[in-house]
Amino acid sequence: MNAMMKNSRVYKILLNILPVISILLFASLWQLASKNGGIIPTPLDVYRRAGRLLVKPVNNISLTGHIWASMKRVLLGLLAGCVVGIPFGLLIGWNQKCCDYLKPLFELVRPIPALAWIPLMTLWFGIGETSKTALIFTGTVMPVVINTYTGVRLIPQINIDVASVFGATEFQTIKEVVIPCSLSAIMAGVKTAMGTAWIIVLAAEMISANSGLGFMIIRGSDVADLPLVIFAMIIIGVIGAVLSWILTFAERKLCPWKVEIN
Amino acid sequence: MDTDFCRKEIMPMEGRNKLEIKKLSKVFINNDSFEVAIENVSLDVKENEFLVLLGPGACGKSVLLNIVSGLLKPTSGEVYIDEKLSQGVNSQIGFVFQNLGVMPWLSVRDNVAFPDKLHKVPKKKRYERAQKYIDLVGLNGFEKHYPRQLSGGMKQRVGIARAYASIPEILLMDEPFGQLDAQTRYSMQDEILKIWNQNKKTVIFVTNNIEEAVYLGDRIILFSARPMTVKGVYDLNDLKRPRDYTDSRFLDIRKEISNHTDLVIK
Repeated sequence: MNAMMKNSRVYKILLNILPVISILLFASLWQLASKNGGIIPTPLDVYRRAGRLLVKPVNNISLTGHIWASMKRVLLGLLAGCVVGIPFGLLIGWNQKCCDYLKPLFELVRPIPALAWIPLMTLWFGIGETSKTALIFTGTVMPVVINTYTGVRLIPQINIDVASVFGATEFQTIKEVVIPCSLSAIMAGVKTAMGTAWIIVLAAEMISANSGLGFMIIRGSDVADLPLVIFAMIIIGVIGAVLSWILTFAERKLCPWKVEIN
Repeated sequence: MDTDFCRKEIMPMEGRNKLEIKKLSKVFINNDSFEVAIENVSLDVKENEFLVLLGPGACGKSVLLNIVSGLLKPTSGEVYIDEKLSQGVNSQIGFVFQNLGVMPWLSVRDNVAFPDKLHKVPKKKRYERAQKYIDLVGLNGFEKHYPRQLSGGMKQRVGIARAYASIPEILLMDEPFGQLDAQTRYSMQDEILKIWNQNKKTVIFVTNNIEEAVYLGDRIILFSARPMTVKGVYDLNDLKRPRDYTDSRFLDIRKEISNHTDLVIK
């Protein structure tokens, strides 16, 4: 595409309405595909089901209540994962001794999928909120640690030398060089962790919960309410997209020196 | 008002040694082999002198600078600054790195103010000071730019301004113009002499370019290839500044040095 066309107004308008068009197209294809079968609900069915949610909430919890229930678990678990994972990643990335002692252990624990922890977590924390948050924590802490660690290891020696030559203490080197230099790697880890957190929260809620989007799906499935299932899936998609957009925005604010390849 | 400049007001004692390197050697040991990088190098640097260390690529000049700056420890030998044994990083030393070493996450202004930040100078004060050095290297107008938005020559100016902003008494420059194109290189050479004239410091400048060495140096110390030893010392104090690349005396010195050097194109 030549530059003139790229800058033209028509192109810009097209760029703005293209997402709308693609969604509408998808919805109409869906409508056509589901019309006759009857097993798959039509978009309209889903839309009506969503309307009915306002009148008759699932398990007496409003839609926003369910969203918030899932969101709270995700954010708490993710926060715990970051609070523990970032310092731990910095530690094993920066200090060779700590790396020698702790990394092998970490490498052994890392491949265990978070969901494998469910029985232990239930044993320790019961089936309430704590065990769900703990489960999300185990899933999110891994990518955060690995990304932080890798980010620290990839810092060019020259940047550390610069700090040393100008008289930085070890603490200053970490604060002024190591953290800013590995920040975008850390952010990438947080983004991955966010995705993992959603997978885990859904699974945890489908196993045992009485609120949340995972609960909505499993309730819909139990009573053969497919429109409800699909509506919950759409909500999950939208929230995931919004959260990822927020993180990208935060990364741009935190790392303004980075340019994305477009 | 300017505490930074007051040091230069102290009249240099002619011929006083600012820095002395005594019988310095450096051996690198990897696994079961070892490599002698520097062998028994001794040299003096006079106060406010522009000393050029000239030697073939990878001969160990950078290693020597890293030892002087305190980033590396010598295997044997000592470095004295103001007749005092210098061990580890010395706050009197500013460093312009070969690979630039500008921090990509900091703006030009924050890069230049970086040494002051480490020394906990309040923000306003350190920006004021940074501005002075940004103006000195001709980067005014680019204070808020990030390094990726700058050309190679401009990034190198950031490195120079930062080294100056650390208010060093000794400025180490490790092939600072090595990666620049010829045109930028010439203008940066003039720039660095201009700054040096305005703001006298003891400069140790490393290069592998004979022409650059003769153009810049008060004295040139010529090194051999690895292991690095001193091959000769050339005093250019009688060669008037500003120097002319095509001046016959300039060309004579250049020829003389190139006849004695190991600088070979590999």
